[in-house]
Parts: sequence; structure tokens; C-alpha cells
Amino acid sequence: MPLDFRVSEPLTFGVELEIMVLNTRDYDLARGAADLLERLKKADLPGEVKPEITESMIEINSAVNRSYDTLLTQLRAVRDGIVRAADRLNLAVAGGGAHPYHRWTERRIFPTERFLKVSNLYGYLAKQFTVFGQHIHVGVASPDDAVYLTHALAPYIPHFIALSASSPFAQGQETSFDTSRLHAVSAFPLAGQMPPVTTWEQFTRYFDEMQGYGIVGSMKDFYWDIRPKPEYGTIEIRICDTPLTIELAAQLAAYAQTLAAELLERRRADPVEPLYRVYGYNRFQACRFGFEAALVDPWEKRSVNLREDLLATLDRLLPRSVAMGNTMPLRALAELARARRNGANWLREEYAQTRSMPDVVRRQALLWREGEKVPGF
Amino acid sequence: MQLGFLPSFPLTFSYPLLFGALLVAGMVGGEVARTFRLPRILGYGIVGFLCAPFAQALGLDLLIDEARIFVNLALGLVLFDLGRRFDLQWMKRDWTLAAMAVSESLLSFAAVFATLLTFKVPMVHAGLAAAIAMTTSPAMLLFTVHETHADGQVTERAMSIVAMNGLLASILTTMMVASSHLADKPQVEVALLHPLYLFFGSLAVGAAMAWLTRVVARNIEKSKDVHFTLIVGMVVGAVGLATMLRLPVILTLLAFGIFSRNDDRGYELLNVNLAPLGRLLYIVLFVITGASVPVEALGAAGVLALLFIAARGCGKLVGVLALAPVSGLRMRQCLGLAMALQPMSALTLLMAHDIGNIFPRFGQELGDVFIAAVIVMELAGPLLVQWGLRIAGETVSDDAGSMTMQLRGARPRDA
Repeated sequence: MPLDFRVSEPLTFGVELEIMVLNTRDYDLARGAADLLERLKKADLPGEVKPEITESMIEINSAVNRSYDTLLTQLRAVRDGIVRAADRLNLAVAGGGAHPYHRWTERRIFPTERFLKVSNLYGYLAKQFTVFGQHIHVGVASPDDAVYLTHALAPYIPHFIALSASSPFAQGQETSFDTSRLHAVSAFPLAGQMPPVTTWEQFTRYFDEMQGYGIVGSMKDFYWDIRPKPEYGTIEIRICDTPLTIELAAQLAAYAQTLAAELLERRRADPVEPLYRVYGYNRFQACRFGFEAALVDPWEKRSVNLREDLLATLDRLLPRSVAMGNTMPLRALAELARARRNGANWLREEYAQTRSMPDVVRRQALLWREGEKVPGF
Repeated sequence: MQLGFLPSFPLTFSYPLLFGALLVAGMVGGEVARTFRLPRILGYGIVGFLCAPFAQALGLDLLIDEARIFVNLALGLVLFDLGRRFDLQWMKRDWTLAAMAVSESLLSFAAVFATLLTFKVPMVHAGLAAAIAMTTSPAMLLFTVHETHADGQVTERAMSIVAMNGLLASILTTMMVASSHLADKPQVEVALLHPLYLFFGSLAVGAAMAWLTRVVARNIEKSKDVHFTLIVGMVVGAVGLATMLRLPVILTLLAFGIFSRNDDRGYELLNVNLAPLGRLLYIVLFVITGASVPVEALGAAGVLALLFIAARGCGKLVGVLALAPVSGLRMRQCLGLAMALQPMSALTLLMAHDIGNIFPRFGQELGDVFIAAVIVMELAGPLLVQWGLRIAGETVSDDAGSMTMQLRGARPRDA
């Protein structure tokens, strides 16, 4: 099927959030998605709640928004609706990029046609894909803009990783990474980044070729960090861990929106090849060291500290953010960067205090529920 | 030549030998059942039944008396585990759960009570028997849940309801013991004090053990291994304490579990998986239960036992289905839930046995009915639970993405 790009209103935005469904006994992942979704059918929520690959995950989709304020209001309403429904089922829900101690062997594939196909093809990788990410969509005026923006946003991917990182534990162990989730994604053969095409025409040629080989059926089969999303007329940033609060999720979306506005207006003409020579290394640095990552700037040929680079970018975006209504979220992100606060730190502190992973997840679920009451997140 | 160092003949089987033999035989029976895709518990029970005729010849009848401590420990662990899954907070958030537990308990009570009255069983005895009928075998449910890796609303609700019906039955039998006392020996003090002692004594011991467990938990490393030892130690201790104080083990351990779940505001006690130990004890429990029920009881009380099972089963089914529309569960899930509440096993026998000890006439009159009902349910119960959890879609074989399916269906190009 040829790719048809549906143009959308530029800089409109929305998010998808994959969240954990937990039991309240030992806060391990529970098989509750189907019951939760069944109950949510009756709730009148803005946006959508959908199944994900295993039965311990659900995905929140916001509607298309123009401003941060409406997005946040909407996400809070959906979150509250889900929390209420989960309460009645004795389930809990939480943010975070990965469950710290669940066993992937205990996960069950959610029986939709697509997920069964994925499971059939990828074997155990499908169950190991029980990780939780935030996707941010930003609308673009043309398919060429989508290709441009996909490359232009790539140098900023480490910022999004460090800000959202919230999976320092995996299989009951400290991983020493701020986010361990991305390893589950990297295992897929079609993970990574878009090839260095620069126009939509080139992109469709590439896509047709891949489709011709039978490697992909649709854009969904590319698990890239950023990808054009022709069905929505957006680019989709898929790198973030689901943050521990809905508030941070909305702030990250506001950052993406402001950044996209700047990049579309002040177009960069740098060649993309040097970028992708260092991309994997920068990505690793951000996953491993969070704000303290040492990033390589391939054009300036120097190393920069992620936190300083992020703060400089946020500072640069501030004047533009005023008109967009994004000053508050950008200031909040700068605050986090200055204090070196992200979900991974929070989780590590909780673990240091409780010495019990179930307690950490219990508090994580509480934080998700009452994010606005906890300053700094 | 003197051979005094040799054992004297005929050889007497020591209890550990018999016990070990029963454990291994049970395990083998379970694995045989497994090859026929039947629940393992069914195998344990059948091995028990097969052992029963030889029991006397082998001195097993003595073992069954001696093994009472193992039965108590196994049930103690099961009830504690069950009590830990009884979540008052959930019942507050979703009233339909408590309502369902009450409705299925009361309807099964009423149905059994009415059936026994028709058969001219004295009212007090019919009431006690109906109260026992409210309970579901927690061991059969927990074991099947574990064996089938069941997870979901029906599984969780079934466990809460079983804890609740066990609690209601314990309270009701304890109260009825009072009126039975009055009927048997008109001593007002005994009639009042005995049930009060049983009831509040059990609650007090349960609460005290829960408190003590939390205090210890607070001061030790918060690791699953350490907490596992703590919990097992405390459960065994609580069984001993209840026996020593002549309190009902069932209510005491259920109370211990419930208090340690619902009064643990600081989350000091970890939720440890008791299955590794539970498994051993379950096998012993089911083999011994099987071995201690004389099959002749089926002949003696067959018809009444079947009516007893049918009335109880209908009560539970109607009790659950009646609340289906408000529960938010689908009809299929409710049906599955009602099936998961059907099993009767050692808990039923133990309650009947204990009441029989207090009132011999109860034992003479209804002992065979319980035994026959347990024989039937030892066979039907595991199948019903497994079926119930399966139709609710919560067992592992329902996982459409299981590896075996993948291996069967995978092709190199399937994107």
C-alpha cells in the first residue's frame, strides 16, 4: 500500500503514554488491561485508552491539542478516570519506563490480530517488550517537513532521554543506566533511526523497497526513535520513558512542540550523515548517565555536557515559548535539569529509603495518582 | 550368635517413612494426572483414595491421626495466605465484591439448610452443616490458581470471596456452637462463654501474631527470603498456639492473615510467595484427605451428599449470578467465579470433625454426608475450578501468544 501523508495543522500536538497495570498485593504487573478497558468503555474520557502488546499495559492517547494547558487538563482527566476504574478492580496504575522486577515470562500477549502477529514473528522479544514509553506527536504542514523534522530533532533525542528516564531497575537489579527500557526496544531489527533520506519522495522510495522485500507492511513496523507518521500528518518522537507523572509527560510534549516550532522556522541545512555517526553513542550516554552524559557535537567537533546543552536550549526557546503558552513547562524542565532531577533519581532515592522494590512501585503508583501534589515532578 | 542389633520383626513402619512415601506417591499421582491434562490435585486425591483401603494394614490410620499436625500446618499456611488476600480496602471501593461474598454464602447456607431440614435433620445440626457448606476449599483454589498461573479479576475476586465465606462460616459455626450447647447440655455459662472464647480468642491470637510479625519485620532486612522464614515461623507458631489454647486453627490463622494484610499501614511485611513450601504441604494435605475418607461413606450417605452438593452449588451459583449485572463483570466471568467457589476439601472435613468432637451426635448424623461430599468434590472440585478459571480466560493456556503457539505458527516472514 503506498504511503499517503495526511497533512495536519502544523505544531498541533498530542501524546501517547503506555502505563503499567499493577496488582495492589505486591505491586507486580497484573493481567488487568482487558478488565480495565472494559470498565473504561462506560467512562466518558477525553482521548482514548487502548490495549498494548501485553495484558499488563494500557496506552493513553490524548486528542489533538494546540496548547499545553488543554493537553495537561485532558491528560489529568484521563488519568483520573483510569485511576477510578482501577480502584474498583483493586488494580493500580503507574508511570515509569520499565517495571523493576516483573518477569517477562509471566506476561501474556493481548490477543489482537496485530499483537499476535508481532508475538508470532518476534518470539520472546514481544513479551520482553513490556516496557512503557511516551510518544509525542507534532503536526507538520507537509511530508517534506516531516522528513526534515525527523532529522532535525535527532540531536535533541538525548535531552528527551535524560528528562524522561525512569527505568533504572530491571529484573530486580540496579542497571546503572538511567533508562534500561531502550534496550528492550533496540533488540528489534527495525529499531534505530530513519535512513538519511531528505525528501518525502526519497522516503517513499525507501519504504516501497522495504515493503517490496516483505520486511514491512506499514509504518508501524519501523520502531525508530523518531518517525514520520503519515496517517496523522505528524512526526512521532518515541524515545521517552513514560514519566512518573502526567505533568512531566505534558511538559515534555511542550518542549517538543516549541523545539519543532524553532526548527521549522530556523531551518538547519547541516548534512545528516555526521549526525548519525555519533547518534548511537550520544543515545547511549544519555541512557547511561542521564543529565551528566557527555555528548558529541558532530558539527562543532566537540564534547558537551548534556545538562548544559539542555539548559542552553531551553534558555534559547524561552522567548518563543511565551507566545506558544509553553513558558511554564519549559521553566519546570529547566528546574529539573538544574536540580539534576529525573524519574531515575527519584526511584533510586525511594529504593535507598525503603530497600524494597514493591514499596518503590507502590510509591510510584501513588506519585502517578497525585503527581500535581509532588513538587519537582 | 546374637543379632540384637537387627530390627525386630514384623517391621513397623515409622511415621517419617510413611509420610515420605505418601508425599512421593502423591507427587507421582499428580504427575500421572498431568499426563492426562487433568489437575494435579486430582492425582493427589486419587492416590489418597487408593491408600485408604491399605491404611489400616499399614498402620496408616495412626498416621492420619499423627498427621493431623501436618494437615493443620498446611491449612494454617493456606488460610494465612488467603487472609493476606482479603482486602478490606477493595471491599470499600467496590461494594459489589462484599455483596457477592455475602449473597453466595447466605444462599448456599439457605439451600443446604432447607435440604437438610427436608431430610429431618435437627435444626441446630442442619444449621451447623449449612454453615460449613458456606466455605470453599481455599487449598484447592490457591493450588489451582498457582498451577494454571491464573491471574485476573475472577481469580482475585474468588480468593477474596473464599476468605470471606471462610470467615462468615467460622463466625456462624462458633455462634451456633452456643445454641447447640444449650440444646445438648443446658449450661448457660458454657453456652455463652465457649463461643465467645473461641471467637474472640482466635481474633486476639490472630491480631497479636500479626502485630508481632510486623514488629519483627520492621527490624529485619526487607528481603523475601528473610520474610519467608519469618512468615512460615509465625504461621507454624500460630497453629501451635491455637492448638495449645484450644482455639479453632481455621479462624485464628484466617484472622492472622487478614490482620497482617489490612493493618499493615507501614507496609512492613513483604508479600512473599509461600508456594514452594505450600506445594509440599498441599500434596500431603490432599493425599491425607483422600486417605482419611472411607469410600463406604458414599454408600451410606450418597444421595443426601449429592443433594447437599447440588443445593450448595446452586446457592453459590445463584448468589454470584444475582449480582452479575452490578458487579461490572461479564456473565462468563461470573459463571467462572461461581465454579471457582465450588470445591470442598480438608477445610470442610476439619470443621465437621471439630464440631463432631464437641457434639458427637452431629458427627454420627452428618459425618458420612460430609465425607461423601468431600469424596465427590475431591474429584469434581479441581476440574470445576480449572474450568471456571479457564472460561473466565485467566489461565495460562488461554494465552494466545504462548511460546508453543509461536513455535507452531511462526514463519520467517510474518510481519
